[in-house]
Amino acid sequence: MSSDESFLQDVVAALHRVGLEAIVVGTVAGVLNGAPVMTQDLDLLVRDTPKNREKIGKLSAALRIAPPVQVSELSKAITLLGGALPIDILFDALPGGLTFEALRSRSSRVQIGDSAATVAALADVIASKQAAGRPKDLAQLPILRQTERVRAALKGGKSV
Amino acid sequence: MLEARQRVAPLVPDIDPGDLLLILQSLLRPIGTGRRFFLRRRASGGYVF
Repeated sequence: MSSDESFLQDVVAALHRVGLEAIVVGTVAGVLNGAPVMTQDLDLLVRDTPKNREKIGKLSAALRIAPPVQVSELSKAITLLGGALPIDILFDALPGGLTFEALRSRSSRVQIGDSAATVAALADVIASKQAAGRPKDLAQLPILRQTERVRAALKGGKSV
Repeated sequence: MLEARQRVAPLVPDIDPGDLLLILQSLLRPIGTGRRFFLRRRASGGYVF
């Protein structure tokens, strides 16, 4: 297991320990769906409730990293710093109107070490990046779309 | 890997063969087998795995 996979395993195990339901989204979700892409952080989507805010505090303690900080006054998103890599926590929905419930309904479970992560579907990763529209998101769209097509072809269906 | 490439390539003729190989290698390599996917920024401004 690489240090990247170990980091992910530690985070997923800590999520389970504190009982925080989170969906892995963003580029790491793309990776866990098989795409050959790279990123600088881990994005998690959770529902914005007082209980979950409390659990996020417990998550940072469980990972022995700094308490959550708000990234920007323009966004509810918070970041956990001090670990091997930043963990961005997004609330309720992703760009493109992708709600937590909708993402979860199409998500898959990916085993990472002893724990399983809930991972957004590749189609949803693509849709969210397209809707976000930032250059770094748009730059990943071609390889993500190609991965989706190759995966469909591998499964015996026609390319999408 | 080669079998998968032979089988899939005709279904995605517009994908560059090198890109197809890269994608297949990634798709067929499960998590937990030593994959690297995080970039870390160094003080010098560069990035490392």
